Amino acid sequence: MTRAIGAVLLCVAAGLAQAQAAPEALDWLRKIHQATEKLSYTGIFVYQQAGRTETSRISRLADADGGVEKLEVLDGPPREILRTRDEIRCYLPERQIVKVDRRRNQRDFPALLPEQVNALAEHYSITKHDVQRIAGYDCQVLVLAPRDNLRYGYQLWADLRTGMLLKARAFDANGQTVEQFTFTQLEIGSVPRERLRPLRAARNWRVEQAGVAPADLARSGWKVSPHLPGFRKIVEIRRMLSDTQPVGQVVYSDGLAAVSVFIEPIAGRTETARLGLASMGAVNVYTREVADHLVTVVGETPAASVQRIGDTVEYHRPQ
Amino acid sequence: MKSQISALMDGELDAHELHEPLAALRDDEGARESWRTYHLISDALQGRALLSADCLHRVVARLAQEPILVAPHPSAVRPPERAPWFVPSALAAGVAAVALVGWLAFAPQQGAGPGPTPLAQAPAAPTIEAAKAPASVPLTTASRDYLLAHQAFSSRNSLLGLAPYVRSVSDDAAARKP
Repeated sequence: MTRAIGAVLLCVAAGLAQAQAAPEALDWLRKIHQATEKLSYTGIFVYQQAGRTETSRISRLADADGGVEKLEVLDGPPREILRTRDEIRCYLPERQIVKVDRRRNQRDFPALLPEQVNALAEHYSITKHDVQRIAGYDCQVLVLAPRDNLRYGYQLWADLRTGMLLKARAFDANGQTVEQFTFTQLEIGSVPRERLRPLRAARNWRVEQAGVAPADLARSGWKVSPHLPGFRKIVEIRRMLSDTQPVGQVVYSDGLAAVSVFIEPIAGRTETARLGLASMGAVNVYTREVADHLVTVVGETPAASVQRIGDTVEYHRPQ
Repeated sequence: MKSQISALMDGELDAHELHEPLAALRDDEGARESWRTYHLISDALQGRALLSADCLHRVVARLAQEPILVAPHPSAVRPPERAPWFVPSALAAGVAAVALVGWLAFAPQQGAGPGPTPLAQAPAAPTIEAAKAPASVPLTTASRDYLLAHQAFSSRNSLLGLAPYVRSVSDDAAARKP
């Protein structure tokens, strides 16, 4: 009983907590966002999750066409991701595959817009902290503490001068780190263009196009109700995941964390599905079966949130 | 003033610097709100249970409604036990009922559900609660396709650039050879 009251109080408290954030903390988020769009840089970062670390190089060349960015994983097999304004190419040497995701317009890649930064304060308490040094850069520390347990919290370290993010930590309701990105070395400024070329000759590799097209899942009889405060639908599409069959994808976002719901017929799958919960750092994946279809929810949210969205998926044969 | 309150919380103020922030906490609701918010953040960072948000007002209001027992009588004065189904609805009466019931229904799942599981962890043994707490399964190579397809829509790209994409190509070898 006492625990129930505690839980209710906590719920009410979280619901009624007033949206407030220091304006300068919000300005910092805008500055960080601008840095990812305007700067050229190259550096080495370490990705940590579940006691594992992996080192990668990231390079970005800002230009009038929206820039080119490349991520190279330096440990293990040399995987690469190359992104331009309207295309993402993922090179997987072990599978000899290039996965290509092309978009028709910039709007298809949702960015954190200035007005959304203000809306973030509804669900996160955003505060500015001290200055700490990361990889030789003096960084402003910011904390985005979630106002409920539906999302993770974030601690960010941004370069005082440029706003470039040098370190980012996602933490759960217990304050435990679920994943962390840390630059160990970074050069901001001019980057030679050859740095941005794909290194491997992938001419004979299989190319898998995502073939993204708008879709209306409700018309096919699917109902997805996120029931998570602050999460709104940002896109609803049909796409290819591999070379087998089209998959429906609906994406919800609270402005910072996003959750995708994938729906596909089980009949056409080549690999047996594993039903249940899996995770990769701050991303949780929940898989269940609904009406001979596989429903896979992928989200940068706690496991309970992806499960909650996944459990609302229903199918009713269209009349 | 906020920096002073933060410093006060961290125990960084000297005796002669205490007067101003303490006076603000006494007189200014805004200052008290900052005090509570800083504690909330501190709790979140240090892994303490998050009870500091706006609970204070609710607890105080509820305490005010409680009858004052000068001398407790262990069993004689205890009110009759309510049927369990009555409890949530009674509590819900004063607040947003829909959100509340939804949250309560959700709470036990969160408690029982597994946290983020490391990639290489073996699938959890099936239990009686399997319906509520889904099995922990490893990510497969095919799961990476979902991660990649999802990543393009992540707003975190707006803060971290391409870096979060590392998840969708990370640990491929480990995924295949658990």
